[in-house]
Amino acid sequence: MNFDFTAAEHAFADEVRRFIHANPPETFAVDGMDAGYGSGANSRAFMRALGAQGWLSMCWPKSLGGREQPMFMKLVLMEELALAGAPFGPLAGVWQTADAIIELGTERLRRDVLPAIARGEATFWQGYSEPDAGSDLLALKTEARRDGDHWVIRGHKIWSSHAGIASHGLVFARTSREARRSRGFSMFVVANGTQGMDIRPIRSMTGEVYHHEVFLDDVRVPADLMLGAPGEGFQALLNGLDADRFWGRFYKAPALARVLRQLVEYANTTAVGGVPLARDPSVRRRLAAIAADIAALRLIFYRAGCLIRDGAPLTYETAMAKVYADETGQKLARLGMDLLGIWGPLRAGSRWAKLGGQISHLYQTTLGHTIAGGTAEILRTAVAVRGLGLPAEPKAAVAARAR
Amino acid sequence: MDFRLSPAQQILTTTARSFLRQHCPPELVQRLALDARGFDDALWRRMGELGWPGLLIPSDLGGSDGSLLDVIVLVEEMGRAGLPGPFVASAVVATSLVLAAASPAQRKRLLPALAAGERIVSLALVEESGSFAPDAVTLACAVPGRLSGRKLFVKDAHLADDLVVAVRIGADLGLLVVPTDRPGIRHLPLDAISGEKLFEVTFDRVEVRPDDLLGSVGEGGALLAPALRAGSLARTAEMVGGAQRVLELAVEHAKTRVQGGRPIGGYQAIQHACADLVRDVDAARGLLYAAAWKDSEGRSAEADAALAKAYASEACLAVARRGHQIFGAISYCEEHPLHLIHKRIQAASLDFGDAQLHLETVARAIGLDGRA
Repeated sequence: MNFDFTAAEHAFADEVRRFIHANPPETFAVDGMDAGYGSGANSRAFMRALGAQGWLSMCWPKSLGGREQPMFMKLVLMEELALAGAPFGPLAGVWQTADAIIELGTERLRRDVLPAIARGEATFWQGYSEPDAGSDLLALKTEARRDGDHWVIRGHKIWSSHAGIASHGLVFARTSREARRSRGFSMFVVANGTQGMDIRPIRSMTGEVYHHEVFLDDVRVPADLMLGAPGEGFQALLNGLDADRFWGRFYKAPALARVLRQLVEYANTTAVGGVPLARDPSVRRRLAAIAADIAALRLIFYRAGCLIRDGAPLTYETAMAKVYADETGQKLARLGMDLLGIWGPLRAGSRWAKLGGQISHLYQTTLGHTIAGGTAEILRTAVAVRGLGLPAEPKAAVAARAR
Repeated sequence: MDFRLSPAQQILTTTARSFLRQHCPPELVQRLALDARGFDDALWRRMGELGWPGLLIPSDLGGSDGSLLDVIVLVEEMGRAGLPGPFVASAVVATSLVLAAASPAQRKRLLPALAAGERIVSLALVEESGSFAPDAVTLACAVPGRLSGRKLFVKDAHLADDLVVAVRIGADLGLLVVPTDRPGIRHLPLDAISGEKLFEVTFDRVEVRPDDLLGSVGEGGALLAPALRAGSLARTAEMVGGAQRVLELAVEHAKTRVQGGRPIGGYQAIQHACADLVRDVDAARGLLYAAAWKDSEGRSAEADAALAKAYASEACLAVARRGHQIFGAISYCEEHPLHLIHKRIQAASLDFGDAQLHLETVARAIGLDGRA
């Protein structure tokens, strides 16, 4: 066992901290809201700055412009960025897409998209969910038909995060009718602005726009922008969702640790009825208990990270980790609202808002986390069925077998 | 980072699991819980032959130079099997104290015998305050002199050859190591639901000699802290091992118990309960290993150990309680093993300080100072 970083990992963490010190996160222009996951706001400028450091492509093969750094360096980078509250919103999605293109992508995708990713100029929205295909993703209706050397996509996607400010969409569509329900799907990398694509914002309960719905009205896509083999998109999607659970939540523990630090400071410096909050035994216990949750959460993600690094099989680990991350985030947001009391609901920018109004924002955004990217219910079922070998419920049997 | 056991730790775990499966089945655990003495001499002797009691002791004194992390990995297996007996009290806590503070004569007298499992030593710390904090010790004693008073919740006092007694010498905290056959020492059993053998130990004008001192006067608090941390981590390992066993039993039951025409594990209500057991066990184990690793590396581990104990106290007890709900009525029976594991976890969660005490340590560690 070893619960410390290697010397190289420590050195890289120091390098990242120096970068953050020289480039304070708050100096970067923000393009899209912070969705509360821990990766901060969407900032193109910050992504370009990460690109300029060579960090977006650091783990790629040298032949594709990378430096073949170990995968753990990505964890080191994300942890430091999250601890600093940096606006690296699209990073996890960008890395996942890059990995998929490196593994499955056509020559054209590698040539056209990878360099833009490396520079921090390409970011992606996921076109998976549809109005009638949420947890039951295979009920989706979007179809692509072959027309010469193009595919023509027609359908309606929804809950696509930051689709309005991304460069490309990853559109999941049915490309053939097959006996098996999970076969016959394909994934396309579609540039924003392609004719027939209409991206409309959905204003969330926070008052801001994060999600979009996307109407695809006979969108023509060159065949070599398909990611993976035709009809085999579902496995790629599941791999992607598995990765999403890990990479899209890895930074939650350090981000929550950062919020916890601020709440501790608040409790230390705020008196209620003449007594510092930090001397209230119930406040002390609740903050200490959630510190334990955050520490446990971090280790659960690092353990999964080690399994991924070592190529060991994963069954339940990322599903469980995601649920735990999201429920811990909700717990911390609730605790924060309790601590702030009457000041809690004030928005960022309001007169008298405490801690920059971020707790009311976190309280709202975290509510969606146990729904997005696989609901807590779907994921608990996955832990039980895939991880523990419990029998699938009859209705869920098809999807579980396909996994 | 690396979460895997070392090859040696893997062998230790595998050996322990198969040994305990054979020699410590649930029926034995049940029998010992109901028995007043509750000690299987043959089992303890075999454990001695395997070198377990000497795991922390240097090889030149008959031990095997193991680390606290090795002990934790082993105790997790003991917790999984529900092994009763004085291992944690003697081979972890008392042994840590003797290793840290004993004079050359005490080392020679105690350590080889402890390593062989031929001598059992237990710590007498807690008093009527119920506190594990060294500051709470009030039992006064002069050295040389006579000791009169009592200690509570002393583990396995009926088996112990010696007691390490925390006492006030003037204003200072000191430790004595006293043979239990010295005139004036008596033990009276406390009857706890866990089946653990706990005692009130009374001292009636017990003679205390200068060479009974373990370490120097005033050093008691500094000596106790790492030993109590080791004990606390060992009890955490017991909880994690016990919770792991509950998880395995519950999943097995969910797969085989048929109601409404299919296994109950096919219903989401049970599936989601089982999924939460996995989270609780994995999370508790992660914190445990990280704290034990840090301690074994000689790094500051006070806050980590407190985190681990507080977390496991809540999480593993939740696993046990949820386990009963998954099992239904059958787990309410005395002959079913679940209640034994449950009560062991419950007892471990309170030993060496309950979750509230450890959360207070964490509260200080995260910087809650209340300066306002």
